[in-house]
Amino acid sequence: MATRNHTALYRRYREALRNVRPYAATGPGGGSIELVEAPLLNQGGPRGYNAIVSDDPDATSFRAGMTTMNLPPAWVDISDQVSADMQRAQGKMAELAKAHSRALMPTFDESSGEEHTIELLSREITKLLKKCEQRLQQLSKGAPGSEQDANIRKNVQRSLATDLQALSMDYRKQQKGYLQKLQRQREGQSVDDGIGIGKQQIRQDEDDGFSQVGFNVQQMAQLRQTEALSAEREKEITQIVESVNDLAQIMKDLSILVIDQGTIVDRIDYNITRVSTSVEQGVKELVKAEETQKKGGMVMCVMVLVALCALMLFVYVLKKILGF
Amino acid sequence: MVLVGAVRDYLNRMLTDIPGMKVLILDAQTVGIISVAMSQSELLQKEVFLVEKVDAQSKDAMGHLKAVTFLRPTAENIQHLKRHLTNPKFGEYHLFFSNILKKAYIQILADSDEHDLVQQVQEFFADYFAIDPFHFTLNLSGNHLCMLPTVADSHNSQQACDRMLDGIAAVFLSLKKRPVIRYQRSSEIAQRLAQDSAKLMYEQESGLFDFRRTEVAPLLLVIDRRDDPVTPLLNQWTYQAMVHELLGIQDNRVDLTRLPKVPKDLQEVVLSSHQDAFFKSNMFENFGDLGANIKKLVDEFQQKAQSNQNIQSLEDMVKFVENYPEYRKQHGNVSKHVTMMTELSRIVDERQLMAISQIEQELACTAGQAAAFEAVLTQLNNEKTSDIDRLRIVMLYALRYERESPQTVEQLITHLRSWPSKYKPGLVHTLLRQAGFDKRTGDLYGNRDLFNKARNMARGLKGVENVYTQHQPLLAQTIESIMRGRLRDIDYPFVGNHFQQGRPQDVVVFIVGGTTYEEARTVHLLNATQTGTRVILGGSVVQNSSSFLNDLEEVQRFQ
Repeated sequence: MATRNHTALYRRYREALRNVRPYAATGPGGGSIELVEAPLLNQGGPRGYNAIVSDDPDATSFRAGMTTMNLPPAWVDISDQVSADMQRAQGKMAELAKAHSRALMPTFDESSGEEHTIELLSREITKLLKKCEQRLQQLSKGAPGSEQDANIRKNVQRSLATDLQALSMDYRKQQKGYLQKLQRQREGQSVDDGIGIGKQQIRQDEDDGFSQVGFNVQQMAQLRQTEALSAEREKEITQIVESVNDLAQIMKDLSILVIDQGTIVDRIDYNITRVSTSVEQGVKELVKAEETQKKGGMVMCVMVLVALCALMLFVYVLKKILGF
Repeated sequence: MVLVGAVRDYLNRMLTDIPGMKVLILDAQTVGIISVAMSQSELLQKEVFLVEKVDAQSKDAMGHLKAVTFLRPTAENIQHLKRHLTNPKFGEYHLFFSNILKKAYIQILADSDEHDLVQQVQEFFADYFAIDPFHFTLNLSGNHLCMLPTVADSHNSQQACDRMLDGIAAVFLSLKKRPVIRYQRSSEIAQRLAQDSAKLMYEQESGLFDFRRTEVAPLLLVIDRRDDPVTPLLNQWTYQAMVHELLGIQDNRVDLTRLPKVPKDLQEVVLSSHQDAFFKSNMFENFGDLGANIKKLVDEFQQKAQSNQNIQSLEDMVKFVENYPEYRKQHGNVSKHVTMMTELSRIVDERQLMAISQIEQELACTAGQAAAFEAVLTQLNNEKTSDIDRLRIVMLYALRYERESPQTVEQLITHLRSWPSKYKPGLVHTLLRQAGFDKRTGDLYGNRDLFNKARNMARGLKGVENVYTQHQPLLAQTIESIMRGRLRDIDYPFVGNHFQQGRPQDVVVFIVGGTTYEEARTVHLLNATQTGTRVILGGSVVQNSSSFLNDLEEVQRFQ
């Protein structure tokens, strides 16, 4: 893994050549090549002096020109937004994980604050992921640029799609884990409750002997409470299932974009040759199209001429008939 | 993961240090070098969103991209770079070269960089195709030049020699080692390459190669393909070698477009040991075991497919969606290996390779001139034998019995003439001239000295496990001698005054004229069992029998 860095040497050469270049342009020998190569440096004015002064500004003006002329295309903004959103989603997911673990902790108070935040967070994350996915689809739509640009855009889309897929996969695993734990907890609770009530009932039966079989007020209250609790849990579960379904849709859309690793499509050389062959093919097709177009024009021309001939003949005959 | 890992490390360092969107600019060779080590999706992760050839004429400027160039330091590439710099399309340029860069080239580049766009100029020595962890190749164009005397085509043979020298130097720079160098005395080109390497490592660039010394210096052994002409002529029965022999592997890619009945998405497949776990564990298995393993793979996959089919509850659905990418990947992999297997067995049946291979192995491994002659003759008279197989068995016979019974060799060659063939029968003589008994150093058939004879006898008594894979390449013997410190100085002299004492920990064997996958397998097995010595195999190309015969044809044209 040895490497060798020539940057310092290169810089030194570059500096040295920069100092030499203007003089070379004025000098009698070998100047012509420099002139051809660097016409920018010698625009009007007394050569020697101007060249030295204009050397740097020219370079910077070129750079400025380059950046203004080539403001990154609009899709760069979209891709930036997508990655920013993904980062936010990641942050939210960390929060959600904390909220999950807190919600699963056995508590004695009945406050449902945690559940509320969980609900909010998961809704937000799903929304973010959806938004990312929509933006991703936009990426390929925008105004068609050159072939290279289209290629880059496709690649950016692919890489973002891969990341997004991984992210939503993580999210789903998180949700699923929580769901399972929640369900397990609920089952455990209901078993507990059943046994508790049963025991109480038996004891009551023993106590009261012949009295009515039924729940007293306290039991009713307990029952209602457990019912409310389970309804709430039910609601939570349906919510999570919904968000899982949403995610499934996202996954389906993304899987079209993501390339399979280890296949021929994932080879760098394959992609390069494919681009060049597609360019060649395009050129061929263009030539062909031109030919057919030419051919089409010729055929049209002949047709029109034939039609005109027929018309003239007809007029001539008509004239002859009418004339006599 | 020695070699593949080194190339990947170079690439990671190259690409992760530069933030933002990047375009990677490559030349014809570096495309291959990178492709065997890294995948497109890995490049995407490093924000490389465009890969371009250096000679491509791109039209529009893209200032928002940073160009990272990775090129071989050739005059041609420098000209292309100069064009890029005088008429820039990208915002920044980071120049990386795959080998030692001449000072003059740096000057040319600095001269054309009027806009101060170049940010760095570095040498990253990934100048070899790391097709497997312990096996590299150089994809040398004009590999036949290795067999010609230098005077025949001095310009091209100098170029070929330089390319090989570059490859060897890059391997040792990646390993951070400076070796002692030995070569096979009987080969002119091996000697030249060894001496050039020594000059480069100990004189011209001694500073660059000045690494921390190990107790026993590593060894570079340069040998010639012609010392073992038998291995590339044999049919192979282990997965990777067999695919190369029958279908051809180029940079870990197999082209199936010319075969009938191949589904469209499998017209070209990748067989890479570091991307495909199944291939990694089966690349050295023989054909029979491979079939069993592929069946196991298919069964496993079927089970999974079935569990995916019966989706009844929401939970099943969730599980399915979760496993779907993995499932799809596996599906592609299974159909790839099944297609390979079907194609291989179709060719084996078509060309009757079982029978032919048995004769070949007998010719290579056991003595017995009269019986061999009979077997070869009957196979020649078989209508179904293909022309390349006819030529090959006659060549193998000629190599073995050229001295023992030259008249039967001539008899077989005249016999060969009576069959129509795209190969000229004169190739047998070319082969004997190039790689006959007088030209060879190593004891190819194990019949030169008493010790080897005895060992051969012992092996004969023990019996062989599998008749089709009983052949051991000569390389196995050579490496064994190295490990025991018994490689003879007369046959394999040292270059200069750097000698070796003791057993080297790192050995790089470079075969001028090309390696074979059978030898790669030998090296791999040695590395797996031996502790303490690591062997790396490299060559100018990876040979199979048809490429070897093509090289011989080229040589014949020069004579």
